[in-house]
Amino acid sequence: MSVIEAKALTKIYPGDIKAVDTIDFHVNAGEIFAFLGPNGAGKTTTIKMLNTLLMPTSGTATVAGFDVAKNSAEVRRRVGYAAQDVGIDEHATGRENLSLYGHFYRLDGRTIKARVKDLFELVDLAGYEDKMVSTYSGGMRKRLDLAMGLIHEPQVIFLDEPTTGLDPQTRAHLWEYINNLARSMGVAIFLTTHYMEEADRLADRIAIIDLGKIVSLGTSGELKKSIGGDVVTLTPPVERDEELREFIKRTEAVLAGQPFVAEMKPSDGALAVYVNDGSSAVPDMMQILSGQGIDVKTISISRPSLDDVFLKYTGRTIRTQEGTRTNFAQLRRQANRRRNQ
Amino acid sequence: MMWALSDTWQVVLRDVRSRIRMPVFIFMNLFQPVLWLLLFTQIFKSLSGSVAGEGISYLDFFAPGVIVMTVLFGSAFAGMSTLMDMDSGVLSKMVATPVNRVSIITGRVLANVLVGLVQALIVFVVAAIMGVRVATGMPGVLLVLLLVALLGTGFAAFSNGLALLFKRTETVMATTNLLTMPLMFMSSMMMPSQALPDWLNTVRQFNPVDYAVVGVRNLVLYGYVWTDLWKSLLVLGAFAVVMVVFGTLMFGTRAE
Repeated sequence: MSVIEAKALTKIYPGDIKAVDTIDFHVNAGEIFAFLGPNGAGKTTTIKMLNTLLMPTSGTATVAGFDVAKNSAEVRRRVGYAAQDVGIDEHATGRENLSLYGHFYRLDGRTIKARVKDLFELVDLAGYEDKMVSTYSGGMRKRLDLAMGLIHEPQVIFLDEPTTGLDPQTRAHLWEYINNLARSMGVAIFLTTHYMEEADRLADRIAIIDLGKIVSLGTSGELKKSIGGDVVTLTPPVERDEELREFIKRTEAVLAGQPFVAEMKPSDGALAVYVNDGSSAVPDMMQILSGQGIDVKTISISRPSLDDVFLKYTGRTIRTQEGTRTNFAQLRRQANRRRNQ
Repeated sequence: MMWALSDTWQVVLRDVRSRIRMPVFIFMNLFQPVLWLLLFTQIFKSLSGSVAGEGISYLDFFAPGVIVMTVLFGSAFAGMSTLMDMDSGVLSKMVATPVNRVSIITGRVLANVLVGLVQALIVFVVAAIMGVRVATGMPGVLLVLLLVALLGTGFAAFSNGLALLFKRTETVMATTNLLTMPLMFMSSMMMPSQALPDWLNTVRQFNPVDYAVVGVRNLVLYGYVWTDLWKSLLVLGAFAVVMVVFGTLMFGTRAE
């Protein structure tokens, strides 16, 4: 049974900016579903349409059985939301923050008291109930934020970039909590991320979203399999950008048409060559390249990662897209340039 | 409807609680009005009797204005906490719940008015210590609080509307500063209407601050001047209603 069902969901901002462009997907009950994409891909806009904060321009979405546009009140009662910014009140205690949301979700005093106790244990904050949030660490705040979205035992919880800005240790810790939630409470989790590892580790299924469109959807295994074989990464002994471009151009020309090459994509300071079998392709590749006088500094063979999947479907690495704030206009311009090329 | 009231109450609790935890701000807001009360009554001491009327010191004349000023300053910046909630993500998290949306604004406005009334009372006490007596006694004090509560409601709601309209701290700060000072000076807060030029007397008829000043001053200095009092109550009541509608509309369309 699916708890989220999006059909041709679209959001167009003023200025004809298509933030989300006719996307279709569904999320099953109890499933962890990840939207993976760079900043500005349309992840947050999608979440805000699904949790009724934004009206879709066209298309429909049902969440927990209710239409987000026509029945927003019913949807709100059944979903939890943890935004990218931790939406908690610094000048209140953890308990006060949590209780306020209990009231907003129409729970009675006794239920609130009981749930507060359970939730603080669940997110490992027992003992900190009456401490001011301003004394909490970043990870503790994120966990409290998570708990606040759970007080009404929702069917779906939306997590927008749940671990952005956290150190690796805290992040791994938080992944455990998120995983536990889905497994122990049976709540479906819709999360967005621009971390490959996060999607890989947490999600049952992943949708890769770029420029408002879902470019690929499946389990992490399926996505990696869609690349087929191995990835051979060739790094040239060059420093300047022109030299790198020259290297990529020449290598692509030389290797094009070789039977063992499935596809080639430039990536951060290197060229990624998709092959069926890395260990047999590398000797051939070396021979051809040295025959043409092309120097290679390092060669590495790897099983495809989600990075490679992302590169294959969007033509760029996700890292080059990371920034602090989304600049829609700039991203659109880049996208249009790429499309026109 | 039940939920709207309970939501409003929860928001009031949250706001008042966080204010009480930072008492320093409550006193910072009081600092300026009290300073004006102490300084102006010294600077304009020579005007006593001549300007304010026979047997009335400038202190007696000015103290009601300071009470109004206190509430004005306290409420005109009410939108700042909404901006903080917007920046920190608290607001979007709140509106994603089934909370009654209007309550988020009304609760905030109410909390502001409550704090404003406490501040007004403190100024009252300071003025009383300096020798100001209220002509209408305790019932008058209650009416004074009602008048400034209406004024505070209007300005707090207006400020929240501005915050949601501009969504930028700098813009809201600048606009508010641009408005509050002229509103104070274009009223009979510092000078009686007889001493003001004609054009100012025309302008002040459109200034809600003036209606509060006139109403409060009558109650403190002269007693019940019913025609003025009714006018003040009506104008300030209408001002409060219009501004609450403005704030609520802004919230409905601009909060996400």
